[in-house]
Amino acid sequence: MRILKQEKKRFFEFLDSVKQSYELVAPVNRDLVRFEKIENARDVYLEKNSYFPIKDYFFRKQEVLFKFNGNKIKVPALKEEARVFFGIRKCDLNAIRHQDIVFENSNDPYYKSQRKNSYLIGYHCNAAPSPFCFCGSLELVDYADLMFYDRQDHFLVEVGTEKGEHLVRKFRNFFGESEAVISKDDKIIPGADRLEKKDISKLYEHPDWKKGVDLCLSCSACTSMCPTCYCFDIHDEVSAENTQKGERIRQWSSCQVQEFTKVAGNHIFRKKREERFKHRIYHQLDYFKQKNGINLCVGCGRCIEACPTRIDFVEIINEMK
Amino acid sequence: MGKEIKKTVNPFVPRPYKVLDFHRESTDTFTLTVKMKIQHEPGQFVQVSIPGYGESPISICSDSRDYIKLNIREVGNVTRALAKLKANDTILIRGPYGKGYPMQALKGNNLVIIGGGCGVAPLKGIIDYIENRRNDYKDVYLFLGYRSPDDIIFKREMEEWGKKYNMQVTVDKNQHSQVCYDAKEGFITDALKNSKLNNENKVAFLCGPPIMMKYVTDILKQKGFHDDQIFISAERLMYCAFGVCCHCMIRGKFTCVDGPVFRYDEIKDFKND
Repeated sequence: MRILKQEKKRFFEFLDSVKQSYELVAPVNRDLVRFEKIENARDVYLEKNSYFPIKDYFFRKQEVLFKFNGNKIKVPALKEEARVFFGIRKCDLNAIRHQDIVFENSNDPYYKSQRKNSYLIGYHCNAAPSPFCFCGSLELVDYADLMFYDRQDHFLVEVGTEKGEHLVRKFRNFFGESEAVISKDDKIIPGADRLEKKDISKLYEHPDWKKGVDLCLSCSACTSMCPTCYCFDIHDEVSAENTQKGERIRQWSSCQVQEFTKVAGNHIFRKKREERFKHRIYHQLDYFKQKNGINLCVGCGRCIEACPTRIDFVEIINEMK
Repeated sequence: MGKEIKKTVNPFVPRPYKVLDFHRESTDTFTLTVKMKIQHEPGQFVQVSIPGYGESPISICSDSRDYIKLNIREVGNVTRALAKLKANDTILIRGPYGKGYPMQALKGNNLVIIGGGCGVAPLKGIIDYIENRRNDYKDVYLFLGYRSPDDIIFKREMEEWGKKYNMQVTVDKNQHSQVCYDAKEGFITDALKNSKLNNENKVAFLCGPPIMMKYVTDILKQKGFHDDQIFISAERLMYCAFGVCCHCMIRGKFTCVDGPVFRYDEIKDFKND
């Protein structure tokens, strides 16, 4: 893969230049670190990973599927904005990959339109940015259009895709040739491989799953903070003046609440917290793999960091005998 | 069939169809006939919409290229809104979805059809299917259980079924001692237990409340049925119906794509998963 170089002193200038042609989204440090549209390139913050995942930019928290007036349906025009995302870590790049699989397979026009003209520029973690990280325990791949590797006074930039090639051509003034090599070892993030068991398929009946559950509040912070969780529900909202008119809306939902499996007649299939907790972990580390050959989980650790009672499923799995 | 999503079609958008007939079956159930010309298998379902109320997955209970019949019980917002429809109204539908009963592969067998309450609806799809291909299958046994005589659905069709097939009907309670299709008081499980059924060249199709399906499978096993001779139709909450929203997931399987009809050995170990 082609390796280029960018001097750090030209970095902000580069982002300013990107901003003139594209909407630029990158992590900023407000109350917490989050991805935001960048007004000032100097706001870009790369010390820590974003507290919130990036998924809302593609798989929106709320999406209007269509508007209706009686039985007449109108799908809103789908925007295909050209956006450059800078500073996406390896975990989140892979999370995008996994959601790409889900929404490409289901031919989701809303997701695809958000993704179509989006450029993904990654930022490699030289060390695990949080104590909860375990991306090294999962088989993550390169998925950025451009990947930035931080090297003291410069960045090495790996061109990953055609889209990435387009960006370096367009902003060629900011990139120089490099003889450097980015080896497999360079891509390993130290201190991020704490999940010891890779196959949990035989552990379903293990009594230790209960360990986490007593503390669970069913608050669903874990699933909303997860960069890969993609469950949703669909409901109609009508206008107060004219109940014939309204919108059908898709929004994120969470398998951690009872209502997730509640059917007409009020029967709930996963009534117990333990069943719901296990369902989440198994979807992440087993079910998705059965269908798609890869784990859904990317090891960002956000579900653990966001949990108000700090249920650490990695520790629970590691301690299972 | 119905599984290939066309690349140009927005999979969330339903299309309008004309209601041909509304028929009240019991106090809280009705059957809609809709002019929707689609190829489908028994056991498959469609997503039916009333804008402003939402969508509901409803199984197809007919076998025709010209229309579909939907038997619906009024239990939620959408189904109560559907109950207000009448002939010539328009209804929004997308589908068909899911994997139905593998009728082709089961040609030449004797069929045991066991349904409870509105679980009889998808099974009626099989009965209509057999009706159109009577020579492909041998003996047909029907075991239909309802809570009370008032809850019996498909009364119009049952008279014919009684003549053509080995049919047994039970009601949990017959409080007013109503006369009704020779329905015995008791559970369908008792009728099944007392029957002389064995597993010889037979397959069983089940649909009903989870507790009924559990006991019925136990009895079938006692009568010698193997796991792969039993097919059950599962019910789950679902929104998308094409394997994305995850609400209908049972362990790693999607009820909407891998089901709703499962061969018993595929899901027998699953409890509240």
